[in-house]
Amino acid sequence: MAKLLEVEDIRKSFGSTEVLKGVSLSLDRGETKVIMGSSGTGKSTLLRCVNRLDPADSGHVRLDGEEVTDANVNRMRQRIAFVFQDFNLFLHLSARDNITIGLRKLRKMSKADARQRADRELDRVGLSDRADNYPSQLSGGQQQRVSIARALAMDPDVLLFDEPTSALDPELTGEVVSVMQSLARDGMTMLVVSHEVGFARRAADAVIFMDGGHVLEEAPPKEFFSAPKHDRARQFLTAIGEGEAA
Amino acid sequence: MIFDIIIDHLPYLFGGLWVAIQLLVALLAVGFVLGIALALAEVYGPRPLRWFGMAFERVFRGIPEIVLLLLFFYGLGDFYPIEPFPAAVLALGLRSTAYQSQIFRGVIQAVPRGQMQAARAIGMSRAQAVQNIVLPQALRQAIGPWTNEFSSELKATSLAYVIGVVELTRQGRYIISSTQGNILVVFAVIALMYFVVNWLGNRALYGLERRYAIPGYGETR
Repeated sequence: MAKLLEVEDIRKSFGSTEVLKGVSLSLDRGETKVIMGSSGTGKSTLLRCVNRLDPADSGHVRLDGEEVTDANVNRMRQRIAFVFQDFNLFLHLSARDNITIGLRKLRKMSKADARQRADRELDRVGLSDRADNYPSQLSGGQQQRVSIARALAMDPDVLLFDEPTSALDPELTGEVVSVMQSLARDGMTMLVVSHEVGFARRAADAVIFMDGGHVLEEAPPKEFFSAPKHDRARQFLTAIGEGEAA
Repeated sequence: MIFDIIIDHLPYLFGGLWVAIQLLVALLAVGFVLGIALALAEVYGPRPLRWFGMAFERVFRGIPEIVLLLLFFYGLGDFYPIEPFPAAVLALGLRSTAYQSQIFRGVIQAVPRGQMQAARAIGMSRAQAVQNIVLPQALRQAIGPWTNEFSSELKATSLAYVIGVVELTRQGRYIISSTQGNILVVFAVIALMYFVVNWLGNRALYGLERRYAIPGYGETR
């Protein structure tokens, strides 16, 4: 069976620095994969190449067999949602309207329908009581949950998360991680750049370890955390306090 | 007596004030529409458009208002017959375009980059993102600096009298010459009228700013 998301031989340079040196990966429907690796290894760039926020220099991204191109990118992005590290909620809109605006402007939904849908998504991330609050009236964790609700409302086939908890105080990461875990349980297809080992262990089907612009290894979390194949992966796990000291 | 003269001539003064306000509204409207267009061209447009915007802004900010008025009325009038009022709207409106484009460019560029990215990430085109996300935020921030432009253009309307627009200042000169004197009192009344319009306009704009303030945003300052 064809994969839902196929990323094939992506290369990307910024100036003379080649950040991605031919990266391939794929996701089946309902799978969750977590991308790990030291900073500067191209994880976020890879994610931004998938939905073309940064177009790749070469390579292919296919969703359900359809290639993402400049011509169809606005339509494809509605199916490949993106959650940002620093939330990027629309500052002038309430939590609810952050969700309705895409439904109304892109899906041409009626105001009432969009509102109903938004309230359902806010409920899903546990923020029904915050619908009328503006982003600057919400905590970081709440903002990130609204941004996840905003992504979900578009009924995406795949959700991309770019370090969704890195900008949060440690005590706020839990609420975001638990929302992500429940999405994974519900069968959402997710590609997550994150150092949340707990999330990877509990929710991921595989961990993808990147280093120096390459995918070094891909393995089920249990295997990856207990017996990584590469030295770089072992060093990385030691550095974040997970692996046994060598 | 002097007060009788003022009261007798009040209809003329208010007539002049009405012309001044019409001129103000027209030139600000020209400047608003073209100023936003120019700002968008400068921020998002291809390089030739950006150069055009910069050149336009330099030229119209670099020439005195009176010279612009004379150029558009007498200069343009040589080729194409133009009435004083539209000539004044054009001259002052294009100059206001240059100033307003700078206000709008500044506030558009001050909208955090992530806002555009998030809009694109849910599938909006760049035009949709500008219309639905960037401009609504930028225009809120523009109201403050725009009150300056309002005040300065209200005062600039008085210069239109040099090309024969019968606005408030010119009505004053008519009254002075037809009643032989009273210069101080007549101009004092006129000054008061400009002042009151300016004050009311600024109050309305500050009210607008408060009404459209984003809850919770910038409140800690």
